[in-house]
Amino acid sequence: MTAQPEDLATHAPVGFLTDTTLCIGCKACEVACKQWNSLPMDNVGFTASSYDNTRDLGATTWRHVAFVEQFPGNERPTTMPPFQSNWLMMSDICKHCVNPPCMQACPTGAIVISRFGTVVIQQDVCNGCGYCVPACPFGVPELSPLDNKAHKCTFCYDRLESGLEPACAKACPTDSIQFGYTDELALRARGRVDELRERGVEGAYVYGDQNAGGTGGIGGLRVSFILSAPSERYNLPAEPELPQRKSVPNYLSTLVASVAFGAMMTICLRK
Amino acid sequence: MSYQRMWKTPKSGGRSASDESAESYYGVPPIHKPHWKWLIIAYFYLGGISGLSYVIAELAEVTGDATNRVITRAGRYVSLGTLLPCPVLLILDLGRPERFLNMLRIVKLRSPMSVGTWVLVIFSGFCTRSVVAQAARDELWNRFKCAPHGIKAIQSRWMGVAGVPFGFLLGGYTGVLLAATAVPLWTKNALLMGPLFLASAASNATASITLVLCLSKAPHRALVRLERLEMCSLVVELGLLALNRRQLGQTIGRPLREGSTGRLYRFGVQGTGIAAPLMLTVAPMLAGMRPSRWRLALSSLLTLSGGFMFRYVMVIAGHRSADDPQATFELARRGSQESTGSVTDVNVHPVAPS
Repeated sequence: MTAQPEDLATHAPVGFLTDTTLCIGCKACEVACKQWNSLPMDNVGFTASSYDNTRDLGATTWRHVAFVEQFPGNERPTTMPPFQSNWLMMSDICKHCVNPPCMQACPTGAIVISRFGTVVIQQDVCNGCGYCVPACPFGVPELSPLDNKAHKCTFCYDRLESGLEPACAKACPTDSIQFGYTDELALRARGRVDELRERGVEGAYVYGDQNAGGTGGIGGLRVSFILSAPSERYNLPAEPELPQRKSVPNYLSTLVASVAFGAMMTICLRK
Repeated sequence: MSYQRMWKTPKSGGRSASDESAESYYGVPPIHKPHWKWLIIAYFYLGGISGLSYVIAELAEVTGDATNRVITRAGRYVSLGTLLPCPVLLILDLGRPERFLNMLRIVKLRSPMSVGTWVLVIFSGFCTRSVVAQAARDELWNRFKCAPHGIKAIQSRWMGVAGVPFGFLLGGYTGVLLAATAVPLWTKNALLMGPLFLASAASNATASITLVLCLSKAPHRALVRLERLEMCSLVVELGLLALNRRQLGQTIGRPLREGSTGRLYRFGVQGTGIAAPLMLTVAPMLAGMRPSRWRLALSSLLTLSGGFMFRYVMVIAGHRSADDPQATFELARRGSQESTGSVTDVNVHPVAPS
């Protein structure tokens, strides 16, 4: 008899804490993700002038390790400090928003929040309209040329069902990617930021945190990041916002314009 | 599986890695652009004409006199003619066209695309009713023995008016749809997008009805009214376009100023599509004459081409905007980036965390 696995949904939501100060850029998470989810390979070659060879998140790349080279004083450094050694590395992933813009955009209801609190695209419903693609302020979902449907990280839905942590977190050798329940992770993140600041990394903060500008309308991220430089360095928008937040006022302005045009037409079409 | 994810490395000559990473993450766009191209551009164009032609036809029917009957007639047929390709274009644009019915699985007011789908469905009903009623008035059914029963029941002019809100929505929701994305050019002036698409749809619909009436030798009195309406819509459209461009600002408005989309916006949308038709109709008026039928037809054609270029520029400039990291970053900066620490070079601290 094997022990019954823990039902992760009982303490949902689950999430990740990605501590970028611990990331060594080994890309084990990328490989583990590709292997577990049977995703095809990417372009072989490096992006621009860095060691990044997956460029960004996409339909077949659900983990992406960013390599941000640091240039103090805009010059190529000649010394290498022991901490972060002139490189910022971050394993990027779908943020699994609390109030996901992609889910709001989806006209078929294919994008849902699972019982674990994660955001999943149901592949048997998606019809490839592509509206979730520009709706995401983090550039996560993408239409796959393989099946013309939208894909993104599923938070290893199948592994969660079996009580296992997702493949990327399992593979991370430095525990830069930590899996857990979001309330516990939030506490851990706060402690780690305090520790980092004590040790001299004064710029450390939690991305998406209310103190760091928040996530206007998105309601927070289940996948948080400890960053040590402005978020734009890592290709993350400073203060992301729910694009659909403005939809109601937009309909109202369209309504006002409709009434005005209706009046104009009625006047012009008279004698 | 033989697919490999490929990309072009955006690298301009003479730029070093330090330049690239100082501004963004090696120039890689932080958001993804949509795949929408010609099919969607054509749909935005035809859907707008269809919706607003219907509105003009039905408003002409309830508010006007006998002169407006030709406007109503042309408007109703133009509306159906431009509506018919719309669902086809939308279905073909899907990644999985065979699953188009999934669009009707749910009603989701928060998703402008879901709203648009349902508006299109409901509007199709109203549009069909109007055309069936119009065909009865034109005595087209007399040729068929199996004329639809109950035509009398649907001939109330108020049923036509009931569809007017859906006609307006069909013309304007496309702007709301684009505004509800993370693309900086579309969402920066979210409030203006609906009215902007509505104004363009209004001028295009008026122009297409005018064109039909010019070619079918309709009475001049009807043309005078349409000409008035077209001029008013064009002036409103020009004002909205100017306001939109001013509010976009330097960085986000770049695709409307620079490059091929910038040129097309200036000379195509504003010049050919709005200024030229206005001049064609205003010049003879200043000389105290009525613009001739051919002059009106030409100005309508120019307006129609301008409307298409407007849709093209908005969609393609949106792609350029999504590809511009600076535009996305500027959109998401609301002032508190300083508080998160404008620490530029954290790594100079010789700290080894546990």
